[in-house]
Amino acid sequence: MSEPRMTEELERMKTEYEPLLPIERKLIWYTLVSGIVLLAAFVLISRAFS
Amino acid sequence: MSTTLSESETTPQPDPANAIAQSRRSEDWLAVWIGLFVFALSLTLLAGKDLLGWAITTSVWTVPAKAFAPASKYYSTLPWLLSLAATYVFLLGVLLAAAKALRASLKRFALGFTAVFILSYACWFVGSWAYIAATPDKRSALRVPWSLSLTNEAGFIIALIAGLLVGNFLPGFAKAIKEAIRPELYIKTAIVMLGGFLGIAALEQRHLATSVILRGICAIIEAYLIYWPIVYFISRRYFGFSREWAAPLASGISICGVSAAIATGSAIRARPVVPIMVSSLVVVFAVIELMVLPFAAQHYLSGQPMVAAAWMGLAVKTDGAAVASGAIADSLIRAKAFAATGITYQPGWILGVCTTVKVFIDIFIGVWAFILAWIWSAKIERRSGDKVRLVEIWQRFPKFILGYVATFLIVLALGIAAPSLVPNIKAAMAQANVFRSIFFLMTFFAIGVMSNFRRLWQEGFAKLAAVYVLCLFGYIIWIGLLISWLFFHGVFPPMVKG
Repeated sequence: MSEPRMTEELERMKTEYEPLLPIERKLIWYTLVSGIVLLAAFVLISRAFS
Repeated sequence: MSTTLSESETTPQPDPANAIAQSRRSEDWLAVWIGLFVFALSLTLLAGKDLLGWAITTSVWTVPAKAFAPASKYYSTLPWLLSLAATYVFLLGVLLAAAKALRASLKRFALGFTAVFILSYACWFVGSWAYIAATPDKRSALRVPWSLSLTNEAGFIIALIAGLLVGNFLPGFAKAIKEAIRPELYIKTAIVMLGGFLGIAALEQRHLATSVILRGICAIIEAYLIYWPIVYFISRRYFGFSREWAAPLASGISICGVSAAIATGSAIRARPVVPIMVSSLVVVFAVIELMVLPFAAQHYLSGQPMVAAAWMGLAVKTDGAAVASGAIADSLIRAKAFAATGITYQPGWILGVCTTVKVFIDIFIGVWAFILAWIWSAKIERRSGDKVRLVEIWQRFPKFILGYVATFLIVLALGIAAPSLVPNIKAAMAQANVFRSIFFLMTFFAIGVMSNFRRLWQEGFAKLAAVYVLCLFGYIIWIGLLISWLFFHGVFPPMVKG
């Protein structure tokens, strides 16, 4: 398999632009929010038991 | 991905990413067996047999002839040259068996390994020179008026620099020794052995060890749930990367470098070349982090050593570079803490926390790849008949972690069951530690050889690198620092008694 040139890849991404789908937005926000909530919870738990 | 594949890419072709993934799985298992083999040999000390005491160790030196000695007093009459030769032959034998299992060319591996061993050990020797390595408390005994106080682990940094010189300026030589340039195999083997060493630490400080493990688990959230979505969003929204590129890039920058990029690439059915190109970038930036962050940690975090340790585990990508950063930070911070306050922390705790954080992050790569595979197949690309199987979590599980857990638990169980054996277990782990140090050393050298900085200057790579620089230096290392601070500030390694 020949390795594609990065410039060609970038050109192709421009011409075949893929907009962010709603499911991608959901994935981003759900993971981020759950990460922040869990982080806060674990900080509180670790403080409580240390 | 499937919607954007050109004709040439849809024809059946060898899958290099899959081949790399398979090779990594094999290396994982080999690391487990090699690590357990050395660990088992060291434990024979409990039965009164000293089977590893002949291995070479290097002390901080002013007279070169006094630098080397066998690890055990039982072998004190053995000339150091024989001890060095025995260590080389033992490692060559063990690793040739591994090379055979990996279907590597044995002749090329033997030649490559000989060069890697000699150059790495030469770096260790140079790094142990008193003017480089001696800590302030040892200067008068060694009769040196000043020193850089880097401890003899400065040899790791010198090995990395030597590897970088070979990889970037001596391409012919780098190619000749390529078969033995296996940083992942070396570091995973070292991590399996490290489990026993940490088992000893846990035996002596059970409460602290439990606390470190629990806090390590908390820190994982960051890599998967906080880093990943932000990197993915930035690369999609602001840099216009396609999903095929953005997902492996997000995993490579956020989670654990090469393994995560390859697992994600295969989960979303990206073309094999995508994770490979991302991985090449990850390796280069991991080296930059390795050369900068431990020194930054020493400068700014010597008062909070465990924060520094967790930070290395969270911020530095790839197992090798992360654990290597932990090892350097361990020696640098202990040396500075002693020089500044007279406190002597027990060695190994900073490295241990860094490794624990990294290992926990690794454990979830399979789970994350499974989640992404499900979302991509069910929601984004809707591939009919393409079922995501739970067994894939196990397939992507980094197996070397089993060896790490096994050595940790065996030492812990032995120590709890027979407390009178603890001094002997400690001596046994000290012998295994000799080999762990050598595997670490070879990892540093191999990482250097593999880091081809010319990649960054290739046409078009700048945009990929820009995402990396923006995310890594813009927020990953800072959020990593904040979270390390939240979970580890005020937690200190035990001090050396007496």
